[in-house]
Amino acid sequence: MPNCTLISNERMHGQYFRAVFDAPEIATDATPGQFVHIRIDNRLDQMLRRPFSIHNALDGKLTIVYKVVGKGTQTFSELPAGSVCDILGPCGKGFSAPAGDVIPVAVCGGYGAAATFMLTRQSKNGGVLLLGARNEKDILLTQEYARAGFQVKVATDDGSMGIKGRVTDLFPELLKEYQGKKLFFYGCGPHPMLMALAKLLREKSLDGELSVDHIMCCGVGACFGCVVKVNDHAHPGEWMYARSCADGPVFKLADIYTE
Amino acid sequence: MADLKVDFGKFQLKNPVMTASGTFGYGLEYSQFYDISKLGAIMVKGIRSVPSDGNPTPRVAEVTGGMLNAIGLQGPGVEKFLHDEHYLPGVKKTGATVIVNIWGKTAEEYAEVAARLEAEAKNDITALEINISCPNVKAGGAAFGTDPKLAEQVISAVRNATALPLITKLSPNVTSIAEFARIAEACGSDSVSLINTLSAMAIDIETRRTKLANRTGGLSGPAVKPVAIRMVNEVYKAVKIPIIGKGGICNGADAVEFMIAGATAVAVGTANFVDPYVPLQVIDFINDYCDRHGMKSVSELTGSLLN
Repeated sequence: MPNCTLISNERMHGQYFRAVFDAPEIATDATPGQFVHIRIDNRLDQMLRRPFSIHNALDGKLTIVYKVVGKGTQTFSELPAGSVCDILGPCGKGFSAPAGDVIPVAVCGGYGAAATFMLTRQSKNGGVLLLGARNEKDILLTQEYARAGFQVKVATDDGSMGIKGRVTDLFPELLKEYQGKKLFFYGCGPHPMLMALAKLLREKSLDGELSVDHIMCCGVGACFGCVVKVNDHAHPGEWMYARSCADGPVFKLADIYTE
Repeated sequence: MADLKVDFGKFQLKNPVMTASGTFGYGLEYSQFYDISKLGAIMVKGIRSVPSDGNPTPRVAEVTGGMLNAIGLQGPGVEKFLHDEHYLPGVKKTGATVIVNIWGKTAEEYAEVAARLEAEAKNDITALEINISCPNVKAGGAAFGTDPKLAEQVISAVRNATALPLITKLSPNVTSIAEFARIAEACGSDSVSLINTLSAMAIDIETRRTKLANRTGGLSGPAVKPVAIRMVNEVYKAVKIPIIGKGGICNGADAVEFMIAGATAVAVGTANFVDPYVPLQVIDFINDYCDRHGMKSVSELTGSLLN
């Protein structure tokens, strides 16, 4: 469990930040969709670690892209370069690498796009990012994806960027454009978005993997705090709880339980 | 180098540092970090006769000085625990000393689980911890640990069902924890462990909803330690059987404090979530402490409070 030095921790825009750690051990092992569990400081009102999706892991450096959503991330955003953090990871099960001639399609909500970025390095056939958010202020990383050879399509609730609508509203255009091609979907974003995505993929007989999680505590499968409902294949139609930190956060579409 | 072995009468442990049930999974989750056979024992997550789903989410919430949880004893059930590689068979391969926490919805169910564990795995299990104190399940758990008559029924039923050493895990959510320790001793429990979590609630003021789906949960972490120290000392004065002290231990000094108050051994709980290596640091600290204070055996620490 290495102590890692923060190389930089900068605001991208709004409440979005990018932190880069010198973390050779973690960076070597990390796969897309995995997370790191960071002990932010020793304060008694925030003892527990915070999980962050791994955005990139290259040349011994670990990058995370995060949004300030509470006191933990607020404290984290104030840490200056040179700070040392105790980081567990890489944790959890990530996305499987795009196989053969499939074209990976990342379907993300807001900063969920951070978790699928490393797929751009694994794909030999380019790929697509479908990104949805409330408005243009919540759209990020599109240029990075484009530079990495992914086609980027955007949807916003208010139409301030891309089409006006949900990320799933980008599907008709995508499926028309990629007709006859083998697509595989990778989802990461807010829970309702992922449930809508799972239903849509099933409706269209498409396949993929979704990153689903819940408030985490231990991050290693010990406490059973972060469970999510998955299909209980032994009892069709029924669900069971799986630990999002250890059994996930990435689950196969076939495992995703939708109410 | 002090002698760190501790004696519970029917069983001995290589050192007095365990990991508390519910905070250490079934052991394998932490064997990726270090050799868990170095621990005095691991107390695995509660096992009942059948699998159980546990409570709805959210199940955990951070509070100042600790956390609330209402996991609700999700678990695989005794059959899978005994035979699946993720549980007992896998953990035994690590060489770890295993104490199994058991629970049920009736006294008979507790007894059934105990009998089954003894029949099928008595050589792999060092002791059973009877969980009569989980605050997060409606039937079973705390209902048995806060009513003296029910506590007596459950502990006696388990005692009659097995010859395995028994540890009764006590609830702090009672007026007199010493009374329940005396009941455990009278019913043949070989040890008591305390404290389980304190019944608690946290509210999100923006949504005006409880932070846990279960509404209430158990408070753990450093905030509870002074309460636990007081209770361990009360119980130490009330019974002869050895005590496993727990509640907010974050470092070696906390553990030594529990032993001075009367604990024969200690268990690290919530601190595992913050730093998985805390139990090993506690072992080293206790050893150094004994050397510094001229104690040849860690047992000299137990109940060494001077006033």
